[in-house]
Amino acid sequence: MSEDGNLRSSLANLTVLEIGDQLGDYAAMLLAGLGAEVIKLEPRVGAPSRKIGPFASVSPDRNLSLFFWRYNLNKKSVVLEVDNQDAQPVLAALASKSDIVLLSGEFETVERRMALWRKLAETNPRLIICTVTPFGMDGPYRALKATDLVQMALGGIMAVCGYDPDKNGVYDTPPIAPAMWHSYHLGGEYAAVAMMAAINFREISGEGQYIDVSVHEAVNTCTEVAMPTYIYSGQVVKRQTARHAAPSVTRERLSSSADGVFMFANLSPFEREQRALAQLADQVGIGHILQTPEFAQLEKEDRVAAAIYRNDLLGEVVASLPANEIFARAQALGLAWSPIRRPEENLDDLHFKVRQSFATINHPELGMELRYPGTVAGDGHAPHFSYTRRAPRLGEHSHEVLARAGLSDAQIANLSEGT
Amino acid sequence: MLDGESKGKGALQGVRIIDLTWLQVGPQATRLLATFGAQVIRIEWRERKAVDFIRYSPPFAPDHARADGGRSQGVMRGRGSHGNFDRGAYFNNTNPGKYGITLNLNHPKGRDLLRTMVRNANAICENFSPGQMDKWNLGYDELRKLNPQIIYMQTTGVGKAGVYENYVSYGPTAQAFSGLTFLSGLPEPHPPAGWGYSYLDHSPGYFGALLLMAAIARQRTKGTGCYIDMSQCETGLMLSGTSIIEHQLTGKPTTRYGNRMPFLDWSPHGAYRCLGDDNWIAISIQSDEQWSAMIAEMDSPPWALDGRFASAAKRKQNEDELDDQLTTFTIGCERYDLMRRLQARGIPAGVVQKASDRFDFDPQLKARSYYVDLPHSEIGTWPIEGFPAKLSRSPANVGGPTGRAAPKLGEDNDLVYGNIVGLTSTEIAALREEGVI
Repeated sequence: MSEDGNLRSSLANLTVLEIGDQLGDYAAMLLAGLGAEVIKLEPRVGAPSRKIGPFASVSPDRNLSLFFWRYNLNKKSVVLEVDNQDAQPVLAALASKSDIVLLSGEFETVERRMALWRKLAETNPRLIICTVTPFGMDGPYRALKATDLVQMALGGIMAVCGYDPDKNGVYDTPPIAPAMWHSYHLGGEYAAVAMMAAINFREISGEGQYIDVSVHEAVNTCTEVAMPTYIYSGQVVKRQTARHAAPSVTRERLSSSADGVFMFANLSPFEREQRALAQLADQVGIGHILQTPEFAQLEKEDRVAAAIYRNDLLGEVVASLPANEIFARAQALGLAWSPIRRPEENLDDLHFKVRQSFATINHPELGMELRYPGTVAGDGHAPHFSYTRRAPRLGEHSHEVLARAGLSDAQIANLSEGT
Repeated sequence: MLDGESKGKGALQGVRIIDLTWLQVGPQATRLLATFGAQVIRIEWRERKAVDFIRYSPPFAPDHARADGGRSQGVMRGRGSHGNFDRGAYFNNTNPGKYGITLNLNHPKGRDLLRTMVRNANAICENFSPGQMDKWNLGYDELRKLNPQIIYMQTTGVGKAGVYENYVSYGPTAQAFSGLTFLSGLPEPHPPAGWGYSYLDHSPGYFGALLLMAAIARQRTKGTGCYIDMSQCETGLMLSGTSIIEHQLTGKPTTRYGNRMPFLDWSPHGAYRCLGDDNWIAISIQSDEQWSAMIAEMDSPPWALDGRFASAAKRKQNEDELDDQLTTFTIGCERYDLMRRLQARGIPAGVVQKASDRFDFDPQLKARSYYVDLPHSEIGTWPIEGFPAKLSRSPANVGGPTGRAAPKLGEDNDLVYGNIVGLTSTEIAALREEGVI
């Protein structure tokens, strides 16, 4: 597992121009984590995602949005009103030295900006242009208004997430969009995959290309059995509390530990797991329940009833010990159980420390360091993604980038005026 | 390339992937590589305890579906046949574009055959329980001796390196552990709603494809190999980042907030009941202008003009009551008609679409040809979920080099062992006889 196999600088020779909103933030940050130089071109008022909270301040501040911080690590910020005529020569100069342009936002905005980029691509045929829009660049929904919630609804994730219906089978709670902007995540991950495919294609052909990512379709890809179940059997799956949506309502599965923590504790039909449960029940002193002649008979005569009985026993086992104790004992027996943690509980978990799952980012303005989730994989020694710089303050790199593009100090000052 | 492979302009044309993955998280990554033209050789074993669980999990293709038909022969309510391993619907959707062979890795000759294939491959992927490949003496350190340029991707619940390396995990386990389950749902005292599927069997697959392609691009130019220790839990952390940062600043425990938007003055913001059985519409009002447009669409009911809802801040403050009042309007509306009317006024609104709505109705997915019809050698032609982006010069092609949906178990043994490994038909027959393939 040699160090040089690490991917953290695998895109070190790439320059990415990013223009847009929260639909593009994450995709560009993923490329930045693999070493690409990402230059974010922002209007004088700042990119729209600077307005999304929570904030590190009492009132909103465009340099203190935690949302912006999270999705803009390692990037450079340049103030440039890209829709103004006087920005066009600057964009042309930047485009000639760039590999990828990522345009995100509402259809009308992106479509308007594409006119210029189509022209610039003629002078740089290696240029990869990627748009990320709510519904894609064509089709009857292309100009509809969307937010994360609306995309999670139309894309199908909401319909499969939520709570059990009441005793009469009527849903008395709404479908749920899991929090943290997953439509942006899905659109961003697929945009990064598509751009990486284009990078590969350019390696073998020398050609750039145009990529049109639809967040709507990205969300649609991610509902698992819901779609094959409908296509092949005509059945529509039903949402259920903290377990898989299915054509019918399955047994409740949420259990609570002795210290009041919800547990994911599931029992598959495999015999191995049933044996493990019996052992666990033994450990907490209630194993005899499964050793009675009555249970043996139940298992012979009514497998469904036996499964329900075993499921109830599972709940009792979980309730008998604190969550971490149950977790360790179940895992030792090969049961894939886990406490339902709050995300922040992982900050102090030794496993993630050893893996360097969190990147320590210095915020000199706050006089503190914050730990950001910073990778999904390692090489056995270090993470494949590397994040070292906090999100840029608005216009922090205007001078550096624009001077490199050949602008004079006076021209740069003029472009950033009013920031 | 093999004879008969579709000769599209694949970004990964000429790339060969040895695919030992199973279930969902591993096959999701290799599916995307096939979509971009890589030759993905999926290796399975035919014994019940070794075969991919998804092959024999419902839903199934209906009993009447045949190779020369498919969905045109009609769907069937119920479970369909589970008499063999080749009729699984979900498996078909997860594994299009791949070659399928059988290989017994518990047999020494099987392991030798794998070593032969690794010598001429770009990458090998697996998501066995941690340690399984080492037991076979087929771990990264062994395989790189045979092919120093090999890319080896291993996907596990928590990640191989670290202190939990023997922990067992499915997607939902990793979701619970990472915090994603907790984050989904209504505020306490409601329990977490979690996810209605294994989200962490999908996203790590997209990341897997991303990292494999980054490694392949580098391998093509520099000849560098790579080990990728992919963690489903770490992916879960990546996807809950803002809450973890906020906690470090405030010291407060993370809370749930249902469908609302606590970080902006957006309100109303939620799912609202419409006419019909379990029909809902998501409405997401971002400004006073949009709220005024909403009032106009509702014909200015007195409650909406109440001072308690007069500004974004006040609506936020009285959000429970606002939601109740708004429901008195939406409950009388047909959901798609309401979506059309609200969108016409510039209000972000969308039907909470079920699978049936997305497949039968969604005009956007239809216009963009999102579903792709692909043939399967036993159950015929079925719509397969597509790739969510159009690429102008190296288009995504879900059917991959095979131009098919998923392979039958061992469907391509003769093709792969003959044309790629270079065995004679006599040798192939002997290996089959010995229980190696």
